[in-house]
This record gives sequence, C-alpha cells and structure tokens, in this order.
Amino acid sequence: MSLQPIAGTTDLGVGRWTTTGRRARTFVGRLLGRTDGLVGVVILAFFTVIALFPSVFVGPLEGVLSATGQPLDSPSLAYPFGTDELGRDLLNLTVHGARISMVIGLLATIITVVIGSTVGIVAGYVGGVVDNVLMRITDFFLVLPTIVLALILAPIILDVIGAQAELFGIRSTLLVIVIVIGLTSWATTARVIRSQVLSVKERMFVDRARVIGSGGGQIMRRHILPNVVNLIVAQSVLTFATAVFTETTLAFIGLGDPAAPSWGQILNNAQSAGAPGLGAWWYIVPPAAAVVLVVLAFTLLGNALDDVLNPKMLGRR
Amino acid sequence: MSQPTRTRLVRLAGAIALGASLLLPTAAPAGAADPVVLTVGTTQDLDASNPFNTALVSGYEVFQLTYNLLVEFDKDAHPAPGFADSWERSPDKVTFHIRDGMTFSDGSAATSKDVCFSWGLAMDAIKHDANIGYGYLDPGVKDAGVTKIECPDPSTFVAYTTDQSDRIFQVYVPILPQHVWSKFDYKSIADQKFDPPLVGSGPYTLQEWKTGQYARFVRNPSYWGNKGFADEVVIRFFPDQTDVMVQALKSGEVDYAHDVNPDQFKALGADPTYTAVAGKANGWSQLAFNTYGTGTGKTIKDGGPSTKALLDPAFRDALGYAVDRQALVDRVLGGYGDVGTTMVPPVLSDWHVEPDRPRHFDIELAKQKLDAAGYKLDANGKRLDKEGKPITLRLDHPNTNDSYAKSAQFVKEWYGQLGIDVVVQSLDSDTLSNLILPPPDGKADYDIELWGWSGNPDPNGLTIVFRCDQIDNLSDSQYCNPDYDKLYDQNTQEAGAQRHDTLAKMQNLIYDEAPYDILYYDSNLDVYRNDRFAGWQNMPANGTPFFTYGPLDYTLLTDATAAPSATPPPSADAGASASPVAGSPAAPTTASGASAAPTTAPSGGESTTGSSSNTPLLLGVVVLAVIVIVAGFVWTRRRRAGGVDDDE
Amino acid sequence: MSAHYILRKLVQAILTIVAIVALNFVLFRMMPGSPERATKNPHLTPEFIAAERAKWGLDKPLFPDQLVAFAISTAQGDLGYSIKYRGQPVVEVVADAAGPTVLLIGIGEAIAIVVGLWLGARSGWRRGGVMDRIGNSLSLIFYSMPYFVIGMPLIIIFAAGLGWFPTSGMTTPGGDKGPAEALFDLGRHLVLPVTAVALGLIGAYSILMRSSIVETRSEDYITTARAKGLPDALVLRSHAFPNALLPMVTLIAINLGYVVAGAITAEIVFNWPGLGLLTVQALDARDYPLLQAIFLLIAVSVVFANFAADIVYGYLDPRVRA
Repeated sequence: MSLQPIAGTTDLGVGRWTTTGRRARTFVGRLLGRTDGLVGVVILAFFTVIALFPSVFVGPLEGVLSATGQPLDSPSLAYPFGTDELGRDLLNLTVHGARISMVIGLLATIITVVIGSTVGIVAGYVGGVVDNVLMRITDFFLVLPTIVLALILAPIILDVIGAQAELFGIRSTLLVIVIVIGLTSWATTARVIRSQVLSVKERMFVDRARVIGSGGGQIMRRHILPNVVNLIVAQSVLTFATAVFTETTLAFIGLGDPAAPSWGQILNNAQSAGAPGLGAWWYIVPPAAAVVLVVLAFTLLGNALDDVLNPKMLGRR
Repeated sequence: MSQPTRTRLVRLAGAIALGASLLLPTAAPAGAADPVVLTVGTTQDLDASNPFNTALVSGYEVFQLTYNLLVEFDKDAHPAPGFADSWERSPDKVTFHIRDGMTFSDGSAATSKDVCFSWGLAMDAIKHDANIGYGYLDPGVKDAGVTKIECPDPSTFVAYTTDQSDRIFQVYVPILPQHVWSKFDYKSIADQKFDPPLVGSGPYTLQEWKTGQYARFVRNPSYWGNKGFADEVVIRFFPDQTDVMVQALKSGEVDYAHDVNPDQFKALGADPTYTAVAGKANGWSQLAFNTYGTGTGKTIKDGGPSTKALLDPAFRDALGYAVDRQALVDRVLGGYGDVGTTMVPPVLSDWHVEPDRPRHFDIELAKQKLDAAGYKLDANGKRLDKEGKPITLRLDHPNTNDSYAKSAQFVKEWYGQLGIDVVVQSLDSDTLSNLILPPPDGKADYDIELWGWSGNPDPNGLTIVFRCDQIDNLSDSQYCNPDYDKLYDQNTQEAGAQRHDTLAKMQNLIYDEAPYDILYYDSNLDVYRNDRFAGWQNMPANGTPFFTYGPLDYTLLTDATAAPSATPPPSADAGASASPVAGSPAAPTTASGASAAPTTAPSGGESTTGSSSNTPLLLGVVVLAVIVIVAGFVWTRRRRAGGVDDDE
Repeated sequence: MSAHYILRKLVQAILTIVAIVALNFVLFRMMPGSPERATKNPHLTPEFIAAERAKWGLDKPLFPDQLVAFAISTAQGDLGYSIKYRGQPVVEVVADAAGPTVLLIGIGEAIAIVVGLWLGARSGWRRGGVMDRIGNSLSLIFYSMPYFVIGMPLIIIFAAGLGWFPTSGMTTPGGDKGPAEALFDLGRHLVLPVTAVALGLIGAYSILMRSSIVETRSEDYITTARAKGLPDALVLRSHAFPNALLPMVTLIAINLGYVVAGAITAEIVFNWPGLGLLTVQALDARDYPLLQAIFLLIAVSVVFANFAADIVYGYLDPRVRA
C-alpha cells in the first residue's frame, strides 16, 4: 500500500502561530515532551547519523568482490546480521542502505514539498479561476493511483534523462524513483497548504501590505510563506515517511538499482534469493525493520509536530 | 450509520462462523474418482499457446505436450518415433511412415496430410523468405536442407533434402491437425490465438490456460505411446517468483519445480522427500562485445560501440584475463555449472573442444596486455582508448534471470580494477533484442550484452550465431569473419572426425578473436517430489526430466505409492490406503483431504495432504479467535464504560 | 440531497475521466520509441499492424485526429494488443486479472473498515486509555509496514511452516471440483492475502478514525449531550460515531487508489493473479499497452468510487443534503 500522510488528511483548521524565539523554545520543549515526538526524534537521530557516516560504522560499501562471507550465513560474531547469497555482510548493506533510502526520501520530499507548497500558496492566495484550475489538477493527482502511475512514468523518465545520468552520485535508475515520487505525491501537500493560506490571507497585515503596493509575488514570499512555513515543515516530515515507504515498494517491485542497495532493494534481493523459503530471516528482518522504524518515526514526529503547531488541538490537551 | 458498533461486530462474527459451518460439510462430498493431477511449476510465464509465437521454454513445453513432432526424441535425445513411426533415408530424400490408425484427441484420423500441412507452412515461409510468427521453428526445416515435401498416400510423407545430415530429425515443427487449421496460411496462422481446448496427437492436450496462473492439460485418450500415471498435467507459472514456487513445492501444491536457485537447490536436495537434478544445459551465458564495423569500418550515427577499442581483438583478449569464470560458477551459480570456454558446450561431447590458447584469470596480466596493446591509464587511473578518451562500457543484460544481474556486478568490479568503468543496465528481453539490432532495423547502441543462448542437439544451432549473415538477425556481437563463414559452410557438409576438426577450428577461431567471452555453461536446477509420482528419468542422462526435448517423461511416470503399498496394504501413507481408486494422490490441496478427515480418521494429517485436512480445524480456530477478541473488546469496553455510566 | 449536487459531482467525475484518458494519450506518446513501438509489436503481422495504424490514425496529425481516434477506441473498449502475451487484446488480459483483485481488495477493505473504524473509535473516545495505547501503537506499526513486509512472515509461518494455507495462487488447478469444493478452495487461498491487506489497512483506518473521533468529541454538541447526562456509550454511538464517520467516507474512497496500487506488493508476495501481479509482469516486459489499460481501469474505478463517496457523503451530511 502507499502511505498517505495521516495528519494531512484531517482538517487542520486555522493556525495562528508564528515563530518567535521564545515560542520556538517552548515548541521544542513541547515536542520533546510528548512521547511520540521524543521517540520519533530519537529514532530519526539514530538513522540520520548512520546515513551520514555509514563508512565510519561498517567500512565502505561491500561489493561482490570484497565480500568475505559464505553465502546465506546466519548471524554470527563476524557477521552480526548474517550474509546474503553472495556472501556480503548484511550489516554493511543495511547500514549503507540507510543512506540510499534516506537520500532518495529526502530528495523526493523536497520535490514534493516545493511543488505542493507552490501550488498551495498560489492557489490559496490568488484564488478565483487560478485556484479553481489548480485545485482541479490537484484533485486529479489525488485520485491517480501513485504506484501504478509511477510504474508507467519510470521507463519514460529513464528514457528522457538517459541511463548514464547522475546527480549527487545517484544513478539514473534511482533518480527516476525520486522524480516519480515527487511528481505523484505533491497533491496532499498542496491541499493542506492552500487551506492554511486561505485563512492567513484574510488577516490584516496582508491587507496592509497590499495597500502599500506590494506585488502578489512579494506578498506570497514575504507574508504568506513565513506564516505557513511551520505547516510546510510538518508536511515535509509526513511526506518523508511516504517517500521512504514508496521507495521501498518501488524497489521491491524491481525498479531499484542492484548496485545501490536501498532497503527496498535488499528486500527485493532477499525475495529473489528465496530467503523466505530458506528460512533466512536475517536477510529480511533488518531492512524491513529499518523501513518500519523510519516510517514510524517520521509519522510519529509528523503527527507530534502537527499537534504542537496546531493551536486548535492544543486547546484540547 | 447510527447503528451500535457492537451489534455489527457480533453480526460479523456470526457471519464468519456461519460461512465456516457452511463450508465444512459441503466440502466433504468430494468425488471418489478424482483425476490424478501432476502439477509442474516453472518461473517462466507462458507467452503464447500458439507454437509459432512462443519464445520461451514454457511455450515449448506446452506445444510439445499437445502436439507431436514428426520425429520425437528418446531418453538420450536421439531421434525416436513420433508422428512417424519409421523412416528410411535415401541419398536425396527421407521417406517417413506415418503410424497406422493414429487419431487426434478429437478422434479424427491423423495422417500424412497433417504433416504436409504443418511442414508446408514452413516451406511456404521459406519460399517467401519469411518466418512464421516469432520465427524460431520454421528455420529448422531450412537448416535441414529440405527442398521439397510430398504426401503420396495417407501413411507416407517424403522430404527431399540437399544433404544427408541428421538435422531433418531435429526439426521442431509441431504437427497440427489440418482439419482444424486448414483455413490459415503461413502468415495468418501467426495471428491465431490457439485458444484451448486444443486438438493434438500428443500425450496431454491443452485444455485451459489462465494467463499468468496455469495451463491445464488433459490426457489424450487416443495417444499412441505410454500412458503416464497422471490424468491431468497442470503447469503453474510463478513468474520471477522462485521462492513462492519452492514454498508450493514444499507444501505439496506442485510436484515438480523447474529452475530453482542454487541455495534452494542445495536445501531441497538435502531432504529425502525431494530429488534435486542439476541438468547440464546445452548452452551458455556470455559477454557479447559489440564489434560493429570490424573489417568494414562502418559506423552508426548515434549508435554502435562507444569506443573503437571494442573492435580490437587484443583489447577483448586482455579483458578475458580480468574475468574469474571459476568465481562466477562458484558464487553466482553456487557451483552448478561449468567454466565457459568455447562456443560448443561440453554437453555436446562429440563436438566440444577446449581452446588451444586458454585465458586464465590474472588482473595484472590483463593490465599488462592492455598497456602493451596501447590502452594506457590516465592520471585519474582511467583506461584510455587510442583516441585518448576514457573507456566507459555500457553493459546491458535482460531482467529475466537473477544470475545475469549478479554476473554483471562481478564484471563491473573486475573491469573497474583495470580502470574501465562499466554502466550496467537491466532491460526486458524485447527492449534488449531491439537495442542490439544494427541498421537498418536498429542502432546497435550498446557495448557489451550479457545474455545467453541454448541450442539444439546439433551444434549448428549455436555456431550459426557468429555468421556474417546473422548480423541484424541472431548476431549479438555484430561479428563478421568470412573465414569463419567458410568453415561453417564446410562443417554442414561434413560428418564424423572431419566435421569434428572443422568445428574445432571454428571454436578456436572464435575463442581467439573473442567477440564473445563465454562466462559459464549453465545448469537447469530442477527439483521434484518423490511421494506421489515415480519413474522419473533424466532426458538425456545429464539433463532433467521435464523442460527438455519432447514430452517422453510425462508418459513414463508411475504411482509412487503403488509399489510399497502392494506388499503391506496398510501402508504408512494413510492417504493411499484410504481410497483404492488411485484417487488418493489426486489434488493434494483440494478438499479431498478434508473429505478424508471425517471418515478415515486422524492419519491424514501426516501425509502431504495434511494441509487441507487441518483447514476446518484452523477455520474453527480463527473463528474462535475472532469471537474471543471481539468478546474481549466488548468486555473491556463494558468495564471501562461501567466506570462512568451504564452501558446503554 | 439536491439533484444539482449529484449533477455537479457527476460532471466532475466525467471531466476527471476525460482528463485521465487525455493523460493516457500523452503517456502513450511519450513512451520510449513511441508512438510506433506499441504498434511495432513483433508478434503481429505487418498487415495487421497496417490496419491498426490506420485505425489509430498514426499517419495523421497528433491533434486532434490521433487524440480523437484514441478517445473513440478507448470508449469502445479497444485498448490495443499485449506485447507480452503475443498480441492478445489487452482488454481480455486485464479483464481476467480484475476479478481476483476486486475479490482480494473487497474483502480486505470490508474487514479493515469494520475493524479499523471500530478500533479507531474505541481508541479515540477513550484517549490515553490502555486500549488506546495498545491499539494506536499497533495501528501505527502496521501502518508503517508495506504489505509485502506483512505478507512474507505470514507465508513463512502459516503456509510454508504450519502448512495451514496454500502458499500462493488463487485456486488449485486440476480435477473436477463441485461449486462448494471450489468455493472452499478459493476461501483457503484467500485467507493469507486478505489478512495482509486488511492488517495494513486497519492501521491506516484506525488512526484516521481515531483523530476524527477526537475532533468530534470536542464539538459543542457532544459536550452538550454529555452534559445532559446521556450515557457515554450512547453519546459515542448515536452522536460522535456517525459524525466522525463523515470524513472517513471520503477518505476511504480517496484511499482506494492507494489500496489498489498497494495491493500490488501483496499480490507479488502471494502470487495472486490480479492486476498488481499483472502490472509488474507488464512492467518487466515493458508491455506498454497492457500497463496503460491497467492504469486506465484503476484510475477510472477510483473516480467512480469517489463519486459514490460524494453521493454517500451528501446523503449523510445534513448540510449537503439540505
């Protein structure tokens, strides 16, 4: 299944918060004061450190030639997570998989949030026909089945950018996944941001800005954006969960890059190596647990952020 | 919408229980004379039931079960009676005698006119310089040198040939019933879907095909050969799902699994329930270098090899020292395969030779050879071609088999040690086939293709690939050498030691010129269960029972439970003694096991059919669990609610 | 619910379908080597392809001729010929696979809706209670698990290990099964895949329902009802639950697209012969005509589901009904 940002689907209501220094401090305090927020932050911190410095923990990514283990060896002191069918250390692969999965997730999130926020802000602020057209397009993308569309888009995009393209050391097969996720999952963000913009727009200072002659673009940048930036952050966190989830699914289906083992790719390898039937649980559990933990952490954090940043909910606590 | 939640859930639980109770008794009365079903699993999906439109082993299996060839194969893969039960060779022709009184599965007579029709399709295609459908079957008639066919009477078929080779006995053209297909010619037959049920003269005819799921065959009552134990044959497709197939083998849902991976093969082989057979494949996997322009100097706009180095035999020779073929056999194939050398596989032991000047794995030597040939390293450690450009090779392989992807990773790392970057791309077979084609049909826009071939009992099936006239057809290296073509022509006219010498020259020529780096000769890893069917034979002796030449093995199977239970009737296998009508081994996963449960007591549980007899019990457990959970929730709720208010 | 409301929603649905067909047309043209590739099917004869080209108007300008031809043949249910299955009409191939998917998702959805909504309502109503904590944690965990991650252990334990259920497929082929026997056989094959799908969905629905109930609980009329001294459970059943359900109707409909797409991985793991498995096989073979047809079918079903949800929503919500 494809994950949908949970909080994004509920009505977020009207936000009336801004980020001043003092409030930011209480905000962090409130976030970490919540169990779910704390758990989310801790898990994410762990995986972020791993993703940033994988080689510090397990050395460079093991290739087929540098592999030293026996095929499909169960966990041992030498190989705490066991080995895959080519004798590679699964601890090494899983740790390096963190970087690949999370970089893909990050890039896909950036694309998603940039498109979603832009559409949301423009639609909400400009209103009228533009709003109507943009929202119809958004509804259209909300309805489209993401994964199926992604599967169709993937070969097309690969054809457009070419098999040898590279960005930040990411091969084109993975870039395709990034682009596909970005293109297919911005609609929820757009909807959420728009409803926020609608309420911000009505506020006085916008009217004031308009009176003193600021252009539409300037108002959106200077006045609207700062007021929805927190919501964008919350949305980004939830989108990140979706992106990691979708990447795992796409890689499992076979759109990944065998040379760059993301978690989904490792699971795909495990499936084709017959790990479930051979009882090689160690081949499945680490990458699967990593995916579940990261998605869970982002979801928890996203929800916590959303609650903390949303005064309507605060009143009820 | 305002209905109380609990009521609904209780109703749901009730519905489940009701459903289960309905299922249990109704499942019981299963037919006593259930047909014996042999279930065969393969990781390939069936692409077409039209023999001319399949490019896959599974498709061959389907049509060779349904239709006879004019000449079939015995268990050593030598010619054996098929649609024709005898033949005589004279200098310019072969006279085939069609079996007397033979009928198709629909009861109509099978005569020489059916052969003339089927071979006639191929002859027409050859006459028009065309192919039938996919074009895999009819070229065999041409390669056998057939010039004319005749049907003087219903029991005689005559084929005139240019040479005396045995290849006419290996022609893979299925004999279709003329009365069904007479409306169609060699072109329009390719557009036919061959919807089941099909009429044929083979041992089992295709009855039903569920795309992506299974093909079901029923026994042809009028088949002329042995009667196998199975009344029905089901070939189940597990596309790219080796693991799911192995699970199904273990649970008894399939009796035979074709093409498992080495780890599964080892694990299953250790268990006496199964027999694991590593059949030597008549074929290989190779790196094919794009040598387009060799000799001609032709280039392709926006296509062709990315560096001229690929056209240099010295460059390709050096690369050959950088590949550890033994490591590939050990680690990619799990030891089930042989190190690749020349283009005639060792299974064709009459013709295979080892190279006179073999290459061995030695990265340093490879580097020296590259340096000596003028391919130097630059300051960044990248190997440069003679134009001074860093060499980056694009390696494309099909996504059909895991071993290709793994081998590609190894090759990438080895070449990397030489300073040569490799960009690996996995493609579907159709795209890859199109990518390889040179002008006028394509642009041959690749550097290395990692793929494989499998051949016929005669080596010509494989050696033809290197002929000049195969460029823009079978050739995937774009290699052209008139000397080779001369040797090939010579070999088709020769026999015995003479032909062996010529084939040895051909093999060494290709090995030394190295348009191909043959990585390994593959194996087919098949596993079958011993508990239901016996009489398995490998075809040929170093091959596998199924997915080989002809359907002979399907007809040789016997009842595995019959022999032991003959002496002590109350055998350990309760399933067999329960029903004497040979119904016992039937359909291990249908409800027949469930039917056995109430009547023949608990012993059913330990046989392979146990899974089904457990099911009612399990359903009961599930229902119980649901009820307990629901009750638990309701209880917590009542208790919690009770603290504040009354329940209602 | 006014006729105007229904009409407006219907027009919207139709416009969306038109947009989907247009998108399908664009994608069709953007595919590698297109538009020729789809018609350069090596498994069809040149004569046949020539006739097809004429029908699709490939020698005429892209717009409007080709678009119109495409729309007309789509409306007639003619979506081209499969490459993988050697020239079979894709409509037939897709139709074969649609049934199993509907069955799998239908049952999975039904179970997930009932259990998920109930669990969410319970959790949300008693926020912070034991049940909420356990239920919500489990929901979050299942919500974070892709279907195939749920499915793999199910197979290992219940099919390969204990042998209670078949490992894969939808039916046991072969033999002459009576209707009851066939139904039983189908039921056994259904259990594990349905469980995987339902577990994944229960997580999502329960979480959404929980937040919806929490939202509703703070509404004034609920407070009023409770202040009036109505029994807590009654307030939940007759006031909070129905109102909290309102947003769920839309969410479940919107979610359908995700469910169908997500069922792909469940189908892979269980070798379930539905649209998901077909999609992956079509992708492996780069069978674009087949992929397109699947996409079209799924997208249109989701639009219909949304339309139906809008109608139900309109029926339930007094503000819209009025």
